Amino acid sequence: MMQGFNPFPIVGADLRRNRLLVWVTVLLVAISVATGIAVISQERALRQGSARAADDFDLLLGAPGSSTQLVLTSVYLRPQAIPLLAGDLLLQASTAPGVRYAAPIGFGDNWQGHAIIGTIADFATRGGSLPPTQGRIFQQRGEAVVGASVGLAIGATFSPAHGRHRAQDDEDSHADPRHDAVHYTVVGRLPARQNIWDTAILVPIEDVWHVHGMALGHVASASSHIGPPWDASQLAGVPAIAIKPASVADAYRLRGQFQTPRSVAVFPAEVLNDLYLTLGNVRDLMSVLAVMTQVLVVAAVLMALLVGFLARRRQFAVLRAIGASRLYVFTVVWIEVVLLIAVGAALGVLFGWGASNLLSHWMASQLGFAMPVRLGATEGLLVAALIVTAAIVATLPAWLVFRRPITEGLISG
Amino acid sequence: MSGGADLRVRDLAVQFAGQDKPLFKIDTLDIPSDSSLGISGISGAGKTTLFHCLAGIAQPSSGQIVWGGTDICGLSDDALGRWRQRNLGLVFQDFHLVDGLSMMDNVLLPACFDRWKPTPALRRRAGDLLTAVGLSAWERMTALLSRGERQRVALARALLLQPAIVMADEPTASLDPNHRTQMGDLLLELVRTEGATLIVITHELELLSRMDHCLQLEHGVLRQLGAA
Repeated sequence: MMQGFNPFPIVGADLRRNRLLVWVTVLLVAISVATGIAVISQERALRQGSARAADDFDLLLGAPGSSTQLVLTSVYLRPQAIPLLAGDLLLQASTAPGVRYAAPIGFGDNWQGHAIIGTIADFATRGGSLPPTQGRIFQQRGEAVVGASVGLAIGATFSPAHGRHRAQDDEDSHADPRHDAVHYTVVGRLPARQNIWDTAILVPIEDVWHVHGMALGHVASASSHIGPPWDASQLAGVPAIAIKPASVADAYRLRGQFQTPRSVAVFPAEVLNDLYLTLGNVRDLMSVLAVMTQVLVVAAVLMALLVGFLARRRQFAVLRAIGASRLYVFTVVWIEVVLLIAVGAALGVLFGWGASNLLSHWMASQLGFAMPVRLGATEGLLVAALIVTAAIVATLPAWLVFRRPITEGLISG
Repeated sequence: MSGGADLRVRDLAVQFAGQDKPLFKIDTLDIPSDSSLGISGISGAGKTTLFHCLAGIAQPSSGQIVWGGTDICGLSDDALGRWRQRNLGLVFQDFHLVDGLSMMDNVLLPACFDRWKPTPALRRRAGDLLTAVGLSAWERMTALLSRGERQRVALARALLLQPAIVMADEPTASLDPNHRTQMGDLLLELVRTEGATLIVITHELELLSRMDHCLQLEHGVLRQLGAA
């Protein structure tokens, strides 16, 4: 039990009496804190979410051009046209030492907006580490496995539409009898990965080549065969090849091997790292802006409170006249300021977390990968710094009230 | 009950900077304990300043104010605060209650200055005082009370810690005539019951006439009321 004095009756009375000022103050602080929290947590969520989406792609081969575009198109299935790799490179990659599998990533069709990706069974199961949760993996032409969030049941059949977008391609699909003639049957469903691949439909690459009138990768006598080994003379170009190296050393060696005038080899994680550096700079800039906003809000709030305290100098003078010590009124003022800032900061954390989750939800639908929102040490530091600063700065109005003569307050109007 | 404290004032003077003569100068003033003193005077005579000096709120330019053997002019600011809390009950013209608190919490407020929570005995005393001043429904917020009721709460607050001295600055001035008489009655009756020394600054002749001693502050000196 604390002995000494109890400032809370006065603190409570002041807060009750000045409800409007209290709410405006708390909301201003909350909004400024929420902005900082949202900026920092969103940047982290974007970084973690995008990195997680790239986990399945150790090494990516593409035609010479922008590495970023290759990663965005292949890993995040962004609908951009990229040049094709020469078909013989798929054979080279598949047979190179140190390669567990080299999977073609062929896109260009969709079913009701879901990207249809032509690949091999090893990629669909990530080398066996990602078995279907329902059914099985495709084993022959005309079979498909769907991502966790595709609304097609096992056994359902569908025809692809050309293009990456549902809207733009509906007309094309009707105009192209080759697409209408192809029917896929869903034979399996993959587990949820919390990324854009949950919305994709995976089919044998041979079907994609076939739909687009390209060579099927195998000699005519083996035209029903799917996946490697490939026939060099029958290989069409592919937009990208995802390579699963046997080891880290193999990964670096393979990257060097396929870094040629005909192809680029990139670690998606490395490309993302460059993006994160840019993001990090933006984050730093926005963090500075958020902190500046907080400083300005706190300064404005303190000024408003100071004016309020000076207007209430008579109340403090009366308290002192009827026996309250200087320390008592100092504590009342200090607690009121710190309480308002602390409650505002706590609400700001809640608002920021809520806003960040809403933003993540919306951005996940736009970017195609989940953005997990977690509050980290940075946000904690931001809030702690604000409260500590408020606790220090609050001593100013408290001190001004502390040192004011009682008579001056009593005779004030 | 603590009983009253006698007052002894010697060579008390207040002179503001830039003025060539003191606002007032009191050579000698002796008030026995348990008695009452009424001080009157025209506006600007220095009544409020004298009130502040006697209450230990303001320091005089020179002189001694001795309450019950304690020269309050020699006390530090913190010591004066403690002295006021333990010895003095104050009633103001404008009540100066805390509007965000109930009647009961306003009366108990002085108890919060030196402890975390009022004792049950103090709560009982607060209830007794509110009853004595004719108030019920003690959890009502004071902002909802009439002026007369508010002044009665202020009186109960002043008496909570059984002060040896009660000082009131124009306690009836902001009340309507009916409440003035009632408030005057309560003030005198309760302070006498408590055995405290009472000092009242007032213009009310009726109230002054009921004091043991009546003085007028005029032209910087204290005189017997009505003396030429």
